[in-house]
Amino acid sequence: MKFVIEGLTVYFPYEFIYREQYAYMVELKHALDARGHCLLEMPTGTGKTITLLSLITSYQLANPSLAKLIYCTRTVHEMEKVLDELRRLHLYQEKEIGSSRAKILALGLSSRKNLCIHPVVSSETSRESVDAGCRKLTASWVRAAAETNPDIETCSFYQGYEKQGSEQPLPPGVYTLHDLRVYGRQRGWCPYFLARQMIQFANVVVYNYQYLLDPKVSGIISKEMQKECIVVFDEAHNIDNVCIEALSVNLRQNNLDGASRNIHKLNQIISRFKETDANRLRQEYNRLVEGLAQQGNLHGSDNWLANPVLPEDILREAVPGNIRRAEHFVAFLQRAVQYLRERLDTDTVVKEGPVSFTTTMSTAAGLDQKALKFCYDRLHSLLLTLEVTEIDEFLHVQTVCNFLTLVGTYTRGFSIIIEPYDERMPHIPDPVLQLSCLDASLAIKPVFDRFQSVVITSGTLSPIDLYPRLLNFNPVIIHSFTMTLTRDCLCPMILARGSDQLPVSSKFDMRSDPGVVRNYGRLLLEMVATVPDGVVCFFVSYSYMDGIINSWNEMGILQEVMQHKLVFIETQDYVETTLALENFRQACDCGRGAVFFSVARGKVAEGIDFDRHYGRLVIMFGVPFQYTLSKILNARLEYLRDTFQIKEGDFLTFDAVRQAAQCVGRVIRSKADYGMMIFADKRYNLPNKRNKLPQWIQSQLREEHLNLSTDMAVHIAREFLRRMAQPSDPQVSKSTLLSQEDLEKMAAMPNF
Amino acid sequence: MEKRSGQGGPAFQEDEEMEEEDKAPDMEAWERAYADDRSWESLIEDESGLLKAGDDVQQQRQHRRRLIQASGPRIQRGIIRYLCLILDFSRAAGEIDFRPSRMAVVAKAVEDFVREYFDQNPLSQLGIIVMKNGIASVVTELSGSPEAHIRALKSNLESFGEASLQNGLELAHTYVQHIPSYGHREVVIVFSALSTCDPGNILETVKKCKAARMKCSVVGLTAEIYICKHISQETGGSYAVAMNEGHLKEILLEHVPPPAAMPDASSASLVRMGFPQRGSEGAVAICACHKELRIGGGYICPRCRARVCELPTECSLCGLALVSSAHLARSYHHLFPIPTFDELLVDASLRGKSSFAGSCFGCRIQLSGGGSLRLRCPRCKRDFCFDCDVYIHESLHNCPGCETLQEEAVT
Repeated sequence: MKFVIEGLTVYFPYEFIYREQYAYMVELKHALDARGHCLLEMPTGTGKTITLLSLITSYQLANPSLAKLIYCTRTVHEMEKVLDELRRLHLYQEKEIGSSRAKILALGLSSRKNLCIHPVVSSETSRESVDAGCRKLTASWVRAAAETNPDIETCSFYQGYEKQGSEQPLPPGVYTLHDLRVYGRQRGWCPYFLARQMIQFANVVVYNYQYLLDPKVSGIISKEMQKECIVVFDEAHNIDNVCIEALSVNLRQNNLDGASRNIHKLNQIISRFKETDANRLRQEYNRLVEGLAQQGNLHGSDNWLANPVLPEDILREAVPGNIRRAEHFVAFLQRAVQYLRERLDTDTVVKEGPVSFTTTMSTAAGLDQKALKFCYDRLHSLLLTLEVTEIDEFLHVQTVCNFLTLVGTYTRGFSIIIEPYDERMPHIPDPVLQLSCLDASLAIKPVFDRFQSVVITSGTLSPIDLYPRLLNFNPVIIHSFTMTLTRDCLCPMILARGSDQLPVSSKFDMRSDPGVVRNYGRLLLEMVATVPDGVVCFFVSYSYMDGIINSWNEMGILQEVMQHKLVFIETQDYVETTLALENFRQACDCGRGAVFFSVARGKVAEGIDFDRHYGRLVIMFGVPFQYTLSKILNARLEYLRDTFQIKEGDFLTFDAVRQAAQCVGRVIRSKADYGMMIFADKRYNLPNKRNKLPQWIQSQLREEHLNLSTDMAVHIAREFLRRMAQPSDPQVSKSTLLSQEDLEKMAAMPNF
Repeated sequence: MEKRSGQGGPAFQEDEEMEEEDKAPDMEAWERAYADDRSWESLIEDESGLLKAGDDVQQQRQHRRRLIQASGPRIQRGIIRYLCLILDFSRAAGEIDFRPSRMAVVAKAVEDFVREYFDQNPLSQLGIIVMKNGIASVVTELSGSPEAHIRALKSNLESFGEASLQNGLELAHTYVQHIPSYGHREVVIVFSALSTCDPGNILETVKKCKAARMKCSVVGLTAEIYICKHISQETGGSYAVAMNEGHLKEILLEHVPPPAAMPDASSASLVRMGFPQRGSEGAVAICACHKELRIGGGYICPRCRARVCELPTECSLCGLALVSSAHLARSYHHLFPIPTFDELLVDASLRGKSSFAGSCFGCRIQLSGGGSLRLRCPRCKRDFCFDCDVYIHESLHNCPGCETLQEEAVT
């Protein structure tokens, strides 16, 4: 359908549109008109992606000055889904306005691991080894050498791309990663480099968060994006954590050991070069005197390590004298590693700011702050000069340099924490030196500054007013949309008491109480006897889950549960969990029924959908607070309080509730679906937790569903399931949809 | 002929009356009214906690919606059905969310269903399979006598163990294989459990059932279960979940009217049937079904002269299908149903007008007062009340208005 929003013709590939989708478009358009950032919350299952794509591409058609839509997703799977939707939209646009006007080029970009088509390299398992394998075949000196010596292997796809592909643009259309690989095979061009080249010409680019937020990657990939771009962060409820992770480094004993080995190897290579090709090292020295800034103009395939700090923080000046010579630099690194090793060898927890850390570092080991700042670039330059291709072997020294550069550059917003062992397992020594970024706004600031409009959207952004403070920006539009439902297909409940009327909670002093454990067990047992097909349970942490499952096993509850449903458990092992999920689905399909035990903040809670019969009920056992004794968390809380005036309790509750909402949101993925959610903890009953739940859950949380005990919850569940099993009336579901005529009517009314 | 009809159809009507009389003494009049329609269940609690009586007119509409769905256009229907009733008497059937227990409620509903089934499908047969303790067992073979089914079912009421849909379907599948091709193969599963505990892959069994052209429908008691939905969708059956006892009965009875004929069986084929004579009073014969000496009554197979006790049935000696002509006649209305009546919306503007006054053509009740829908026969344009509409469509199968019109035309 085609309709007009305040003068903008919007092409929407479906015949009907939900009310909230229309409202979303209106708000989004206001934000784009104002050239500002916006923060929009709309529940999952309402077609957020197509709404965004539809409005923004229509906006692009109307305003050709707009450069690009940059759509950031969290996973490759989501990326492919976005591109599929976009293809449908594109076909519709072509039908409506002809293929010449609706010409767009849209493509997904991912790492070499997902795009490589080289028969040998692509069979590597890890991302780093694919990268290294590629570099061995495509580095400029390798190719230069191959020209004279035909025995040296190169990548035919890269050569093909280099010969023709880099000049010829891709024909317009929508390319998923799969399409790119197919196209690459047909032409014999490397899809990865093709895609990287083509994002300059594309109208829509879909890629991972990292490509914009992590300065190490964005420096290479997203450098040339114009200001007139619209950036969308989808599923952005955890965006602050992504930002923080992008700028945080952890060093462990094995990193330092590895770094020492790397340094040793570098020394060997340097001495070999000195004998054979001393001239090269001298050239590099001269280049460094002129400053790092001029070292640009490197060949396309060679820029593979970008600085971990943000663009405007890089000094445009010459590298300090004491690390210009290769052997000096290596010695410098050696001293740094030695110093870090000493710091790591401690019995007490140490917490320091970056300033005091660098000061002690310079007095104790003679490593001055200015030189630290250049470590990463200097290493990059050295590795290039030495023509090192096995970068996967030099990961450890890269990590160390990454750490040194960050520590040397930032004086605020970071903290260094050295812990001799894990709090939870004090008898196992596992020293770790953590450089932890405390300020999520650091990493995202350049994105806000550089681009005209940034859209942050997700199904759960509540409480929505906290995000602008966390990310330190001023959105022009903040809006939370609710879902118009044809029937009450959501049934959230807050269970505060067990079957014996005693309160249940995962609070620290109550969680090991056998009464609470038994009450939780009875709840699960009653529920698996009431709810058909799939049930998902979320626990607050792995250790809590292990403990409670153990107790249930001893009490015999687990055996009783198994009479009704099969039990599957998420583990920290990825392959095992995938297998468990697959079997879980099968058990649901063939009618046996299954329960999945999982952990909030785990892989399953973030990325796996339990829609339709795979998840008729989700039980959240306890409130998933972060581990409050964690030093990093405490440092961050302190920083948030001092800098952004966010109270510790507020932030902790916000974080716990958004995780809980994220978990329970797994069960409902569309309006035709239905599911129940049980928040099993008395603390959810408190208004400060309850009111932080997303609007679309709160609106369904009826008064009589609060403060329940197990038997009442079972009763409600029975009634709900019977009601939902009745065939839905197609007449009623029409009423939440708007057709083209409805929209025209609405547009005619001036005060809508 | 007269005697026979005295023994055939109305026999169970008499039984019902007997039951009514049995019930009456130990239940006072005021109790009885409530026990029958369970009016407390239709009470609705609004937000402020006030109780409101359920909307009568709304309920009537709902009832009619079901009727309308069932009727549709005039279609060829499969009159000769072979229906396998699979009952779930697993542990879940012992739950007491229906009083006194799910199993008792199911048994009662099935009893009504069996009677109604043979009343409306006199040429059809029915067999009962029970799932319990992980296995499926035959309670009654495919046969035609309602009383035998009900008796066997009542002696089999206990619940334990798991339910296995696969075993149930496999057993039904072996049953149906011997059914002649003109017969409709149907399975109705009444399922209390929430899971099925199968020895193998049930999806294979579903495919097999589909290939054997079995139409499997499921009546659930608790919640929507994916596999049940899958079974019914794959095999072209229906799936419904009961909200309460009344609803359970209602959705079970939806399986009573004969289904649309199978598309590939459209070519006419002849079925050999016998119309036996009533044995004379006082004649002594060995009954073929009970294997013992009986005096008087019974019917004599026209082909092999064997004596059988009840109609319709299959002669146990020569295998001939035995029916009475009254049975055939009773199936007639399915082929020529009376049209569904149209609801006239009572508009405030119309209320005063003369065309809207008047009473029900059937029972002369005033229709203008509200409390009942106003329904008009599309053929004779006469108005009826809701109760008469139900009576006409579910019991009478003749429209009084149209009949009088025909009489007028004749005279």
